[in-house]
Amino acid sequence: MPGRWNREGDRSARETQILGWILVVPAMAAVSALILYPLVKGFQQSIQSGGILFGELPGYVGTRNYRDVLNDPTSRDAMRHTLEYVLLAVSLELVLGIFVAVTLHRVFRGRGFVLAVLILPWALPSVVSGVLWRRVFDPDNGLLNSVLLHLHIINQPHVWLASGRGAIVYITLVHVWGVLPLISLIFLAGLQSVPDEVYSASAVDGAGPWRQFRYITLPLLRPSMAIALTVGTLLAISIFDEIYVLNGTALNTRSILIQVYNTTFVEADFAHGTALAFVLAAVTAVLGGFYALALRRSTV
Amino acid sequence: MTATGTITLESVTKHFPGGVVAVDNLSLEVQPGEFLVLVGPSGCGKTTALRMVAGLEPVTDGQIRINDRVVTRLPPRDRDIAMVFQNYALYAHMTVRNNMAFGLKMARMPKDEIRRRVDEAAMMLGLTELLNRKPRQLSGGQRQRVAMGRAIVREPSAFLMDEPLSNLDAKLRVEMRGEIIRVQRRIAAPTLYVTHDQTEAMTMGDRVAILRDGLLQQLGTPDQVYDRPVNAFVAGFIGSPSMNLLPAGLEADGDGCAISVGGARLAAPKLLEQRPALRGYLGKPVTLGIRPEDFGADGEDGEIEVTVARLESLGSELVAYLAPAGMAADTLLTARLERRAALTEGSATRVNVDVDRLYFFDPESGAALT
Amino acid sequence: MTTTLGMRVLKALAVTLIVVWSLAPIVLGVTTSLSTQREVNEGPSHWFPHHPTTQAYRALIGGTTGEHSGGTVTQRGEFVQSMWVSAELALLSASLTLVVATMAAYAFGRLRFRFGGFLLAVLVGTMVVPIFVVVIALFKLMANAHLIDTKKGLVLVFVATLTPLATWLLYTQVREMPAEPEEAALIDGCRRWQAFVRVVIPQMSSGIAAVAAILALSVWGEFLIPLLLTQTQNAKPVTVLITEYVGKYTTNYPILAAGGVLALIPPALLALALNKRITGMLAGS
Repeated sequence: MPGRWNREGDRSARETQILGWILVVPAMAAVSALILYPLVKGFQQSIQSGGILFGELPGYVGTRNYRDVLNDPTSRDAMRHTLEYVLLAVSLELVLGIFVAVTLHRVFRGRGFVLAVLILPWALPSVVSGVLWRRVFDPDNGLLNSVLLHLHIINQPHVWLASGRGAIVYITLVHVWGVLPLISLIFLAGLQSVPDEVYSASAVDGAGPWRQFRYITLPLLRPSMAIALTVGTLLAISIFDEIYVLNGTALNTRSILIQVYNTTFVEADFAHGTALAFVLAAVTAVLGGFYALALRRSTV
Repeated sequence: MTATGTITLESVTKHFPGGVVAVDNLSLEVQPGEFLVLVGPSGCGKTTALRMVAGLEPVTDGQIRINDRVVTRLPPRDRDIAMVFQNYALYAHMTVRNNMAFGLKMARMPKDEIRRRVDEAAMMLGLTELLNRKPRQLSGGQRQRVAMGRAIVREPSAFLMDEPLSNLDAKLRVEMRGEIIRVQRRIAAPTLYVTHDQTEAMTMGDRVAILRDGLLQQLGTPDQVYDRPVNAFVAGFIGSPSMNLLPAGLEADGDGCAISVGGARLAAPKLLEQRPALRGYLGKPVTLGIRPEDFGADGEDGEIEVTVARLESLGSELVAYLAPAGMAADTLLTARLERRAALTEGSATRVNVDVDRLYFFDPESGAALT
Repeated sequence: MTTTLGMRVLKALAVTLIVVWSLAPIVLGVTTSLSTQREVNEGPSHWFPHHPTTQAYRALIGGTTGEHSGGTVTQRGEFVQSMWVSAELALLSASLTLVVATMAAYAFGRLRFRFGGFLLAVLVGTMVVPIFVVVIALFKLMANAHLIDTKKGLVLVFVATLTPLATWLLYTQVREMPAEPEEAALIDGCRRWQAFVRVVIPQMSSGIAAVAAILALSVWGEFLIPLLLTQTQNAKPVTVLITEYVGKYTTNYPILAAGGVLALIPPALLALALNKRITGMLAGS
């Protein structure tokens, strides 16, 4: 009689629960064992001393490593460089990304081919991109020098990657070359979500292409811009491969990750290395939060 | 096939987290071979109720029985039911034949039996030529038939249908209505059919169950719910165009009474005898219900003064929207009149109603007063 | 919208620019790989080699010594072995990750179970952790388990780092798919897991293919993790090997370029073949 069956649980609900757990165990196990657990251990290492190798007593040192790292001039240079990478890369990506997206928005003959080609720089390993672009920047045999010498713009080969500001620009260029396809696709998706009628209506109202772009396209791309901004920043902030291939651990182009690599594996200073790595992790975690927010707003 | 089997819902209730009561104490029984339609506006709980019978939604309280076997806690596969979905839910990666054979394969039926059943169902539904096609190559109507075929081959104890015609265009819908009934009569399994379209309910159902906000309003044959609606909601929901519901008053008039509606006064001498419940409402307001087809445009003999606001000629008849004198502005009566009725938009005229065919409802509860 | 001739010209120019920008470095790499070191030194008039030769490729694959190759030393068979290593890593990692991620994505997206939301948030949250942070500690762990410098170890690490992304991509797919075919399967007699395998996975197939391609491309291009976790040729992918050809003082460009070209052929082919699916998925996230 009614009232006796008050439990929501029944056989199929239980089956579902069990199945759910079984299906996620592999993923959670892999991630816990190989990411979360090492993360904790790594943090532990960042608050310990370097030990005997560095002439210290082993033990916990609280935030000393972090303070060291934040005050160390080389690290600070690395952070400054990284900031430059990020600002430059993201600005270029946003502008060029919108440019590419607008150009490829409407269907035209050969669009499929262009889209296929567009993806290539992203599909290649960034190390290989570095190798390909190296041909351009090499002081002895590089393309850039050859052209400029030939055109008599410069008199002797310029060492591009050694000159402070310039090197950063060139490395950023290589990085942007590889990331631009992704950013362009993000904007392209954003453009597709603007219904055609809006453009038709504005055309009837007398708006030409530039006006349409400024007053319709741009504002409606705002959510895509948020996503592109966060993705671009996250990728630029962890820049490593391109720098390593083009300029190794040279001081003038060090990013935070190159600095971490150098500290941890070249100088064998795990304690300070992990501390700096966690500083970076904290920043990316915050950015990740922004990404989640941006996503939520764009799927409204 | 002989008709066997019943679907029974006993005090079935569904609470969603957050406090929403989607289905409230619903009890009904689908008789052997019966086609019972669950109808109501969006959000009334009809789909939730159907899904509980199917086992796709857990039941908060109550019991569900199929052929007197308690299935409330059983997973869908153990209930011996078949379901036709609104969006057909075909297996896109399988051919039509495999779509229909899938359930039988899962039941480990011998291959030739499967083949026999699929061929038979395909013939019944006119799908024989399409057996080797994939769903994406089919039209909406064809897909709907495959969905039905998939349900039929299982020869289940009960059929469930969730608004299967909503995604078809108007003409196809009318065609498929007949098809579904034809098939159901042959299969003779009890069928629970959900729709929001009262026309489907009235034309297809052996009985109709009207739901509102999770509560069963009335359960009866189409004629019953049309002629004797149990409350104002049912009266207004069933029938197209819908019944006119107006505020009115009952006044004593000698031995009998009169109905005042707007500026008009209708004499109803025998009313209190015919409907004793109204005695308690003398001098009080009531809600008056007039079906559009119960109006007559006899010109000068009419009792209600109206201005013709709009006319829609449907060819076979005339639908007139009339603004009665003495009522709140914007009140429009919908009347179905004979084609020959001489009316022009904007003109003032008089219409009358058959007092014996009026409906009365309590203005607060909506309950019918008989 | 009518376009003027001027606009059409502009658009054609823009498209050409995009194509040139995307392909130029690759084309340059190809031409360099077909030159000799001397031609490379000659300057811009020799961008396209006057006498194309496959000498660089032969040196790359067959081996050479420092003095003959201007600073770049290659061992016989080394490069080819690395290519195979990269391919194995990509295939194994992509497949394993797919299995794990598909199961998890289905569970999170369709099944209602306790802590589901929480676990998903944790899983996706790990995506923000820069891998570096993890690898350092991972190094010690893996050294203890004798997994350093092994393909097995690398695959495990790749699977762990790619699972969050793959799960997220597939999860959004699952959420957008209609649930009714699965329900129909349940009514047709399937248990949950049977419905998953026979109906849901086929429904997800195009998403799975796109994610598989993205995963394979990511692993092929992985550099940092293998750099830190490999030492010998045992498990060295081509990305790491190539950087060893960059000599300290001078570099043999044709050989380096040949290496680059060979290393980019598999990802380029994959990207071209599954182009539509990949762009669809990337744009969607």
